[in-house]
Amino acid sequence: MSLAHAIPYASVVTPVPPLQARPAGAVLLEARGLTVSAPGRPERLQVLRDVSFTLRAGATLGLVGESGAGKSMLGRVIARHLPDGFTVDAGTLRFGHGEGGADLLGMPAEAHRALLGARIAFIPQEPMTALNPVLTIGQQLQEHLLRLGVAKDEWRERATAMLAEVRIHQPAQVLDKYAFQLSGGMCQRVMIAMAFAGDPQLVVSDEATTALDASTQAHIVTLIRGLQERRGTGVIFVTHDLGLAAHVCDELVVLYAGEMAERGPAKRIFTRSLHPYTQALQRANPHLTGPRRLLFSLPGQMPGISDFPSLQGCRFQPRCAVATEACATAVPAMREVLPGHHVRCVHGAAAPEPLLAADASDATIFHAPRMSDAPFLQVEGLSKVYRPRSGWLRRETGVHAVKDVDLTIAPGEFVGIVGESGSGKSSLARLVMGLETPSEGRILLNGKALVARAEDWERRIASIQMIFQDARSALNPRRRVQSLVTQSMESRPNLHSDRQARARELVADVGLAPDMLTRFPSQMSGGQRQRVNIGRALCDLPQLLVADEIVSGLDVSVQAQILNLLLRIRREHKISLLLISHDLAVVRYLCSRVLVMHQGVVVESGETEAVLANPQHAYTKSLLAAVPPRDLGVRWPQ
Amino acid sequence: MSSLALSAPAPLRRVLGEPRVVIGVGLLLLLIALAVFAPWLAPHAPNEQDLLNTVLPPAWAPGGDRSFPLGTDALGQCILSRLIYSTRVTVIIALTAPLGAALLGCTLALIAGYRGGRIEWAILRMVDLWMSFPAIVLALVLMVALSPGLLNVIVAIILVDWTRFCRVIRADVVVLRRKDYVAAARITGASHWQVVMKDIVPGILPTLISLISLEMGISVVAESILSFVGMSVEPNVPTWGVMIADGLKSVFSSPWGLIAPVGCTVLTVLATTCLGDGLRRTTDPRLFNRSGT
Repeated sequence: MSLAHAIPYASVVTPVPPLQARPAGAVLLEARGLTVSAPGRPERLQVLRDVSFTLRAGATLGLVGESGAGKSMLGRVIARHLPDGFTVDAGTLRFGHGEGGADLLGMPAEAHRALLGARIAFIPQEPMTALNPVLTIGQQLQEHLLRLGVAKDEWRERATAMLAEVRIHQPAQVLDKYAFQLSGGMCQRVMIAMAFAGDPQLVVSDEATTALDASTQAHIVTLIRGLQERRGTGVIFVTHDLGLAAHVCDELVVLYAGEMAERGPAKRIFTRSLHPYTQALQRANPHLTGPRRLLFSLPGQMPGISDFPSLQGCRFQPRCAVATEACATAVPAMREVLPGHHVRCVHGAAAPEPLLAADASDATIFHAPRMSDAPFLQVEGLSKVYRPRSGWLRRETGVHAVKDVDLTIAPGEFVGIVGESGSGKSSLARLVMGLETPSEGRILLNGKALVARAEDWERRIASIQMIFQDARSALNPRRRVQSLVTQSMESRPNLHSDRQARARELVADVGLAPDMLTRFPSQMSGGQRQRVNIGRALCDLPQLLVADEIVSGLDVSVQAQILNLLLRIRREHKISLLLISHDLAVVRYLCSRVLVMHQGVVVESGETEAVLANPQHAYTKSLLAAVPPRDLGVRWPQ
Repeated sequence: MSSLALSAPAPLRRVLGEPRVVIGVGLLLLLIALAVFAPWLAPHAPNEQDLLNTVLPPAWAPGGDRSFPLGTDALGQCILSRLIYSTRVTVIIALTAPLGAALLGCTLALIAGYRGGRIEWAILRMVDLWMSFPAIVLALVLMVALSPGLLNVIVAIILVDWTRFCRVIRADVVVLRRKDYVAAARITGASHWQVVMKDIVPGILPTLISLISLEMGISVVAESILSFVGMSVEPNVPTWGVMIADGLKSVFSSPWGLIAPVGCTVLTVLATTCLGDGLRRTTDPRLFNRSGT
């Protein structure tokens, strides 16, 4: 610790006064008409088309879009690390300005490599996999620092200072640890420290906070912003979360299928977006405050690279509610409709808002068909202890994954469980489903306790079904959809025709086209796979669905589709839901009651609106504070 | 959308498009044809002795006889005829021993990997114990105990080589068992038997197929070693191992008695290795997805 105080960097650990208005620095990175093509025949497919933006020193540029929008491709262009066969066909990318400016695409590879790490740095999405598992953090920092020209006997001091700057406690000890001994948030801090080590002018953060818990995300954002303000670094912030980007960035570029849909000041785009796609994204996002409105779910899905040749005009046109004839034939030009605000849409600033129609259409969808208030599922004092493998001599005490949880669910009721990773919420889901046996406590189904016996297992799976988090791993890759959705009919004798008929019904129930029946899971998109997953759980019409983080890996517009599907299923089949989620807004949208879990214990529970509006427990308050607020006037993170 | 191109019949096309598989399958089919049509293809009976024409060189060499294309051995038996008849034992061994070893090894691997706990511990320790014993010595001991005969050779090879299957397959089963789709199958009401047959066995098939094809080569070599030391099938049945042993005695007067059976064994093992390698390349998703994205 004494080391950390002896070095000049230690002084900057103290928080700096907030800088609201940032000075507009010199132009740092300027892209003009950037076009990237994938290898393809007969014509080359443009995965990025005509992308232009300007990033000034000290400013943050947000690249927003769903998966497949091409937002990571831009980072790869800057790093000159395009996938095999991909080439930059047109456009320029200048780094720096005036005399000192350099063409990032045209400069010799040697010069480009010298820029990376020293003047341009990257923060990756998956910090755990970006760090080498067989080297200590110290060894990796040493390698990085020596490459940046730090003297051999100084690297340790510098590394400790760097780690202290990203607020890692006891940085000297962390140097001797391996990546797997640190949490995801700690690893990301190490990556940030490495990125800022060479005092770069430009940092590209590619979904750097996506894999992290909300409160860790807030910390990471604060860190990046603090370092940026002190050093005047320009940051490209790639994210799928428009709400987060609105708080973090000065300027936003909204990408759709490789095309810029909208570009302008972040706060303007967030409060008054002009492009129909940005508007749809906004309306697909559930909110933590304000009235609960039906989410707008965009029909269809983002076109893949192979669909591009058929999209001659605007690439958003097939899904656009306000598309005109002209949209299908010609690509609309990027137009500056307001100072600094560019939109690629034929409607320009006067985009109509027909999307409102969808909101009013189904106001009844939220009303739970309460058949009775008497709970059919009661969980009493449920605990699960994981015992570590005890050695010959030592006996270790177990870890409480779930501790003394009480829970009731009434027919038609949607109950949410929120908490961060490691809070025991997934363990609770598996306990309720019966995939784990409780250490203590009991579960009563329709008034009768469930015990580990064959008849009880039959009774349990007839009434409770589970939707798994990762649809890819929950669907056997060697089965077709028709066999997957009717998997539960395999255990009893059935006519083949009955099973086929049920498969058709289920596929229609979850909103899939009938031609999906013969597909394999690998031939479907993530959202479609999750629908199959839900369809399978519905096959025997259970009383309760246990849904474990079922939308966490999905894009916003697909998430809206799935959430609305669950509401529709409740109305049609009178099913209850136990929703496990880390996303408070999703829980608020679906659930009437919520339980907040922290380290295996339920710290707070009650009606969702009451808990979210007036949280009592400090942990609930911290969870709420970690979510970027809708009101851009509030400084976030605090 | 590009994944659509890889739909149902594609795996077969991909497997047959791999030259290694084609070479391996072709050579093995040739071997089977030789075994089946041996009486019509061989110029002499395998044990027919011509004591006037012993250790003859091949027909093309000076002193060779046209009726003995590859020459004769020390007892005046036609080397080519014996080579052709020997394929019968080879083919039977290559087809049955790997299947038997796979059946025994897989069953134990499925039990160990799926059940876990003490049963798994017991099976794994048994495998460890088994593998710590030198394989050839174990086979010899078994053959001494069992008395010579084709069936006993097969049993001996199965008992020696099942551990290879058990180890590899168990690792696969453990990975598959932790997949969510196995839990999903359980909560749709599938019995353990159904889960194993429908969700786990299909998952281990690619590994199993390449293991079996490799085991074919291994069992052929194992049989050759046993017959080389005279511990295999009945003495009157020709095998490559017996021929190698005989050829070794007269190697300086006529090397062909040694070269021909050794060459056949090497070619057979090469064919199975090719086949196994090709199958692994074309069925292991980790290997062919590399070029995809």
